[in-house]
Amino acid sequence: MLAYPMILVFVLRRYALDARRKHRTGAYLAWSIVSGLTTALIVAFGLLVTAALAYVGAWWVALIFAGIILVPVLGPWLIRHALVPLGAVRTTYFLGLVSRPGKDPTAYALVAAAWALANDGSGTAEAWLSRRRDVRRPLGDAEVIATALIVASHGDADTARQLLRSITLMVEDHPFVRELAGEWLACDSAERGAWREIAADAAETRYPATPLTWLLEGIAARRLGHVNAPSNSELWARWIIAPRRMKTKALLQSALASTRNEEPTEPASDADASHGESTDVVTPPERAPLPRAIATHLAFSSNTPNATAFGATVSAWDAALSDGATHAWLARRALELDAPLGAVDRALREISATVTEDLARIADSAQLAAPPSHGPVGDNLGRRLRHGRLDTLEAGFTRWSERRTTGEVHPAIDEWREFIALKTAYTAAVTAGGLELRRLAFPHVFSTANNMSAWLWNARNEYPLSHAISKWLLSEALAVGDTEAIELGHRNCALFVPTRSGVPTKTNAS
Amino acid sequence: MTSVAIAMLEENPFFVLGLKPDTSRIELEREAQKLLGMLELGFAEARLYSTPVGPRERTPELVRAAVAALRDPYRRLVAELWARHAPPMRAADDPRDDPDEEAAQLIGLRRELGWRP
Repeated sequence: MLAYPMILVFVLRRYALDARRKHRTGAYLAWSIVSGLTTALIVAFGLLVTAALAYVGAWWVALIFAGIILVPVLGPWLIRHALVPLGAVRTTYFLGLVSRPGKDPTAYALVAAAWALANDGSGTAEAWLSRRRDVRRPLGDAEVIATALIVASHGDADTARQLLRSITLMVEDHPFVRELAGEWLACDSAERGAWREIAADAAETRYPATPLTWLLEGIAARRLGHVNAPSNSELWARWIIAPRRMKTKALLQSALASTRNEEPTEPASDADASHGESTDVVTPPERAPLPRAIATHLAFSSNTPNATAFGATVSAWDAALSDGATHAWLARRALELDAPLGAVDRALREISATVTEDLARIADSAQLAAPPSHGPVGDNLGRRLRHGRLDTLEAGFTRWSERRTTGEVHPAIDEWREFIALKTAYTAAVTAGGLELRRLAFPHVFSTANNMSAWLWNARNEYPLSHAISKWLLSEALAVGDTEAIELGHRNCALFVPTRSGVPTKTNAS
Repeated sequence: MTSVAIAMLEENPFFVLGLKPDTSRIELEREAQKLLGMLELGFAEARLYSTPVGPRERTPELVRAAVAALRDPYRRLVAELWARHAPPMRAADDPRDDPDEEAAQLIGLRRELGWRP
């Protein structure tokens, strides 16, 4: 008699969890309450029936019943609060499988087990987990996320971050694992104080939000003074439904102390967002161009490099080395010191070359784009960054595509990591060189990457991976206006991609 | 790798000798001899010199290299350009060295929120 209502409650709970992932407004809170109530109802019912069965002596029936009713509901909670902190990789994997958070539960099991790996002390679980990941073909978002968490367990947060950000290119979409990727990224951004990154991810809804992610997004919006930032009561509500409340209390209080803006604020640029919060330029007080350039350069070299400070430093040097007062001072001192003929020009050239070399080195290591400033430093820097990066880029893409002919077969995840590294290098190079360099670099990149995409689709059956490459190539072709590449890209992206997360997907580049 | 701008200020001959950029050639030579003597005798006050990036250790080699650089008019011109337009000297306990208090509070937050390491 109770079976039908309970099935309805189960369905309602699943629907609430799915619906919650699609929202970031008050509906998120409403669906959270619905899922909480239904969970409580199922647990109460499960415990009651289990106790009744145990009372009449049917122990084994009670255990089976508890396993069927309670484990799927309590599984994710147990994984987060008990198994992951214990580093129980294998148990997490199997509990993830039976908790069935949606289609393709293995995806969740894999990611949850990789999450637990960070606390595993045995050292044997990684090989076990990697084998489980490698047998799953083709490569999808869950395998990439699991790899990112494995990499993170070694302490390599930069690579983990890059891999987790790359899943937005993947057509296969498991919301219940993407929300874990989003939570890792939000916690990582919060630790680095990169509140703009969190706000940008929320604005673009790149990842479904867990309650913790939703709280951090609210805190980020309040700290940045966004006009649509949650009110105090909304922020308290987000805090109440999020886990680890004791740890987030201080963050909540500091966000509550921030005021909400009534006027819309200027959105941060992608460049600013991608380099975290350290976009403050240490601007020296108003002074002559040369002292200003030295002070700005010193501040830029001493702090974490970011695009804004880089641009300010280059502009300051261009202004200083083109300044008439600097030239006049040098000429006068050269005369007083009895310096050789041409000393002024030589000094200016030498300083310009030294500064360019120094800034290019820092820009290369921090993957910064050449700023648009024109002058003795800005022009040289742009040229240097363009040429160096273009050569490296072409060599990288050529090496990658040679695998088709050499018969060198790498695991799909390694192919994905190489593609992401090359794509990142390409983006950095074309950002530095502008549209001119983008048009110059694209034909070679297109021909090599398109061949790889076709090979991965036809010979390796790596459909989501191949589709991601085609999708990216199409977006680039549209940016540079390459008609032939656009046509081919549209054809490739229109192919049906079989995925494990749902019905076969027909997609196109946006 | 140290930034060139930092190196230009750290090893600037005028800072190594502790003199102003408009000091005459004779004064430079005299100060270099005095410093070399003090370093040889182990005078504590000669062991460090101030720069805009904080105090640095002074060695006899640095003093000799500084005075040699300032004897060359062209090298002196370049050294003067950096020294004359450099930011103010920085003490060892300058508060700018301290990490931002809020950033320090956020260290380890990812781990505390359940995502190790």
